Amino acid sequence: MQGLATDNAPSPGVVVPHFIFASISFFVVVVLMLLSASSFTGYFFEPHLLAITHAAVLGFGTMIIFGALYQLIPVIFETALYSEKLAKVTFWTFGIAVVMMVYTFWNNQFSTLLVYSASLTFIALMMFLFNIVASTRRATKKTFLSNFITFATYWLGLTALIALIIALNYKFNFLNQSHLLYLKMHAHMGMAGWFLLLVMGAAATLIPMFLVSHQMNENKLKYAFYFVNAGLFLLESDWLFLHGSVMLPVWGLMIGAGIFFFLSYVRESYKKRLRKNLDVGMKHTMIAVLFMILPVFLGIIASISGLNFDQKIYWRIIMLYGFSIIFFFITSIILGQTYKTIPFIIWLVKYKSFVGKTKTPLPKDLYSEKIADIQLYSYIASIPFLLGGILAGSEITFNIGAALLLITAILYNMNVFKIVFHKSRIETKL
Amino acid sequence: MKTSEEIKAIESQIWNILKFVIDPEVEVNIVDMGLIYRVEYDGDKTVHIEMTLSTPACPIGDAIVLNVQEAIKNKFPDFEVDVNLVFDPPWSPDMVSEEGKVLLGL
Repeated sequence: MQGLATDNAPSPGVVVPHFIFASISFFVVVVLMLLSASSFTGYFFEPHLLAITHAAVLGFGTMIIFGALYQLIPVIFETALYSEKLAKVTFWTFGIAVVMMVYTFWNNQFSTLLVYSASLTFIALMMFLFNIVASTRRATKKTFLSNFITFATYWLGLTALIALIIALNYKFNFLNQSHLLYLKMHAHMGMAGWFLLLVMGAAATLIPMFLVSHQMNENKLKYAFYFVNAGLFLLESDWLFLHGSVMLPVWGLMIGAGIFFFLSYVRESYKKRLRKNLDVGMKHTMIAVLFMILPVFLGIIASISGLNFDQKIYWRIIMLYGFSIIFFFITSIILGQTYKTIPFIIWLVKYKSFVGKTKTPLPKDLYSEKIADIQLYSYIASIPFLLGGILAGSEITFNIGAALLLITAILYNMNVFKIVFHKSRIETKL
Repeated sequence: MKTSEEIKAIESQIWNILKFVIDPEVEVNIVDMGLIYRVEYDGDKTVHIEMTLSTPACPIGDAIVLNVQEAIKNKFPDFEVDVNLVFDPPWSPDMVSEEGKVLLGL
């Protein structure tokens, strides 16, 4: 029997800790958010905001993507992960680095601790990069989709490198341009290079698989890949060499065009789907996909130099731009895809040896659908309050949204822990 | 050795057994999903199954294959079940039975 993705699947001990760390991080992120509503209605370069952002993108987003990617590598590349041991070492190094970094930002330790936490993060990310590149090199199957994963990983490496340079600059002050310029480069590499490309590559496999849609137009994904990479490369080069020219909105439009082709691919998958009823996982995913449009619009608006916004309005646009990427796009897709990955991983561990011999529960029976439903509703309810709070500069409105998001985080954690610590319903009967 | 009628009757029983094997993601049995291409009983103790998955990337593909083997062995403990997983021709929605379409809400 050949060609099965599960033949090369990593052991659950490699994957599961990432999901636990990430779900706790999400809870911590929302608690920190509730403690710092004022940070979301002011200037974006602020210690608490940086702490929350990094807890979200590293502790929650990147951590869970690492876990999911270790599981996805055999699916996409038809090869086993290069080293499970390295993946475990990476997990611990990265986990410690993230905690250190969030502590550093939260306590405003830019000139002291930042260089150490950034260095440790850099080491962890390089170990991850090595493991992925080494795995993909020995892949037996290389499809166009694998380019998304490979390029996303390279962009992640560059994101970490710029972060390290920024951190070193705080201590040794050697850069001749404002650190804000490098911060923009760092943030966009992370968001468009790492998250966007990675999500596009993974979603292009997972969405048609879970919606059961066939005969998709793969050319759309090629255009998406080239437009995002070319737009991002030109954007980064513009900042690095021209320090931000009038061409910035054009590079933004190129990335936007890439997103358009990806959206068109998802729409096609949705229209051709055989599975008509969307579960919570896919509803969250669709919300995330729809929310890809907002940051493209805001980013392009913010980069048009001739618009001369009032400073307060400009800050709010920038805030909403970053916030919508992290909390509407990345968060929603993760909240959804968690239900499409971790129940299957645990189900295989607990029930694979019993299938066919006795009646086994389904993967979806490992979590409470009711909790997942309320999680989705509280998440949807939080969106207008969070959006409105930032736009209107209203801390009360923002806090209502954050409180609703806290409900989402608690329910999400309840279900993740319910899945991870699921006790087999069969063993006791045998 | 069994007669051709007996062979056909056992093959038909196996098709019915496989109707109880569910694809956990879509929650529809693999026969109505059109995942079983061929069931062939040799008249002695071997059953050959040719089947596919809705996608080669299916994360629980081997659990489905295992389920096929175990479900048949449950009813015919002495049988050897040889499952040949193929992706050519690739599965397509046209292969879903009328009953499967109803189960999928189409």
